[in-house]
Amino acid sequence: MTLTLILEQTFNGLQAGVTLFLVAAGLTLILGIMDFVFLAHGAQVMIGAYAAAAITAASGNFYLGLLLAIPLTFASGYLLEFLIIRHLYGRDHMEQVLATFGLILFFNEAIRIGFGPAALFSDLPPSLTGFVQILPDTPYPAYRLGVILVGLACALGIHLFVSKTRVGAMVRAGANNPEMTAALGINIKILFRLIFAVGACLAGVAGMMLGPLTAVQPGMGEPLLILSLVVIIIGGIGSVRGAFIAAIIVGLVDTLGRVFLPAMLRLVVDQATADGAGPALASMLVYILMAVVLIFRPTGLFPAKG
Amino acid sequence: MRPVFSFARLTINGMRDNRLLWVLIAGFALFPIITHFADQPFWNDLAMRIMLLGMAAMGLNLVLGYGGMVSFGHAAFIGLGAYCVGISQFYGITNGWAHLVLSGMVCGLAGLVIGYLALRTSGIYFIMITLAFAQMLFFLFVSLEQFGGDDGMSLDRAEFGLIDLYDPLRLYFMIWCVLAFVGLALMFVVRSRFGVTLRAIKSNESRVEAMGLVPLRFKMTSYVISAVICGLAGVLFANWQEYVSPDIMHWTRSGELMIIIILGGLGTLAGPLLGAIVFLLLEEILPVLLGNIAPAYAENWMILFGPLLIMVVMFGRGGLIGLLDRWQMGRAADNDKRGA
Repeated sequence: MTLTLILEQTFNGLQAGVTLFLVAAGLTLILGIMDFVFLAHGAQVMIGAYAAAAITAASGNFYLGLLLAIPLTFASGYLLEFLIIRHLYGRDHMEQVLATFGLILFFNEAIRIGFGPAALFSDLPPSLTGFVQILPDTPYPAYRLGVILVGLACALGIHLFVSKTRVGAMVRAGANNPEMTAALGINIKILFRLIFAVGACLAGVAGMMLGPLTAVQPGMGEPLLILSLVVIIIGGIGSVRGAFIAAIIVGLVDTLGRVFLPAMLRLVVDQATADGAGPALASMLVYILMAVVLIFRPTGLFPAKG
Repeated sequence: MRPVFSFARLTINGMRDNRLLWVLIAGFALFPIITHFADQPFWNDLAMRIMLLGMAAMGLNLVLGYGGMVSFGHAAFIGLGAYCVGISQFYGITNGWAHLVLSGMVCGLAGLVIGYLALRTSGIYFIMITLAFAQMLFFLFVSLEQFGGDDGMSLDRAEFGLIDLYDPLRLYFMIWCVLAFVGLALMFVVRSRFGVTLRAIKSNESRVEAMGLVPLRFKMTSYVISAVICGLAGVLFANWQEYVSPDIMHWTRSGELMIIIILGGLGTLAGPLLGAIVFLLLEEILPVLLGNIAPAYAENWMILFGPLLIMVVMFGRGGLIGLLDRWQMGRAADNDKRGA
């Protein structure tokens, strides 16, 4: 019974981790390569979730919703970079914070006007509502397993793209030294725009997959944004590999901590104290982890800039 | 990076900046007379909110504007100050002076720890780390069920000896006195050797280091001072609201503080207060304005405010103080021409 619980929660942690990775992968490159503080990345998650939910509701087909939402999020990222973001590169970080904060307000309010303030709930197609036996007598929701698999596939795809292709080499060069990369004749403007659009697209995919699991509502991407910032700090800015490892660690620590920390505390201190302090400590666990990493490795576990 | 703040401008216009600060503070002292004759007590409430947010923004400005450290987590200190009131009352301590001392100690200590960890880094890392620690404290208070958790806790206004805060005017002037004190203190801090060094660190840290000073010590000190000021604002905020919830330290409030500072003028004494006036007035006016154009969408005024913010960043330089500067410089230039 306990083993089943541990296994189930580990899978939940993995699912949270890969979702976080999808958000953090694009953001770590935006922060690392473009030196741009992009706080509106959470809005991309929201746009993805709403696009998928709206198309699913209109067409009645869940898969069509996902399929059409992907190019939509790509286009939204591309347009955003073209219209606003590219004018803000090289500006003071504080001004970037302010402008992207303005974007968050705008997107949240636009969604509120378009879809209403209440949360949308999208139903899963019958083919995904079943359970899969991950071990004998250990059923696990098929959809969550699917999320893990899609996330891992995306991670593998990003890894192969970054390490094996020519454009990937440009991205790595850009993360290491943007000026030198531009001096070598690589069109850094187009590269930036593509990274931005792909990053938005990945965040959108995270939102689409989260849609049926959580409520699709204005501002839904913001908690994810802040956790993915923690992931990026732990993994090292600009490092996709670091983002993956840190995302899995953060996902597991957060999920398992919330479930098991209160019980573990009960072994050490009396019940009343454990019940009071357990949830409080569990909610801080990820940030304590970040502080510890900062003390020993101020530039993260896998710094991209050598 | 384009300079947002120039050292020369401050020394030339430092006197005017001071004067503007005291004009604004004097204005707040006289404001209740106007509301009394206009018979609009609601305006006093708005003025109190402006003073509280302005005070917190003035504290943050020491770090942000004078020190050049982009802290995105100062709402956490406001929250800590507010919870100092709530939690002490929970345990039966109702004396307001005790709350103030406690909040100073708690925020000073939190500023020391967060500052020590965050100041090991700079640039984007610093922004994200301050934000992350603020979120940590936010979630801590959300999960503390005994203190109301997500719903927060309601509280009584504290006892300040003879000053009964349930009298609206006394509350108003309590806040005003603290604001004037913070303004005076910051004026001395900014003019002191410490303040000059802090600004020097902002423009060239390695040069300050080469002069045999330890920049980290100055940055830490300014971080702690600003945390304590925000805590002070938090204590008063809790008394004003008679209620405290994690919402007070939501990360968007840190963003609001930053907006207020940039709107008013970075690295100036009067800027944050001016910014708070404009920001909160916009918050009142935009819904009315939108309600006149499109009545169904009056609540969605953020749809105008977001783009406005982006415009300020793209086209506005140096905030409202900068605008005043440019206007006055233009007038001075015209006078010169006429004289010649």
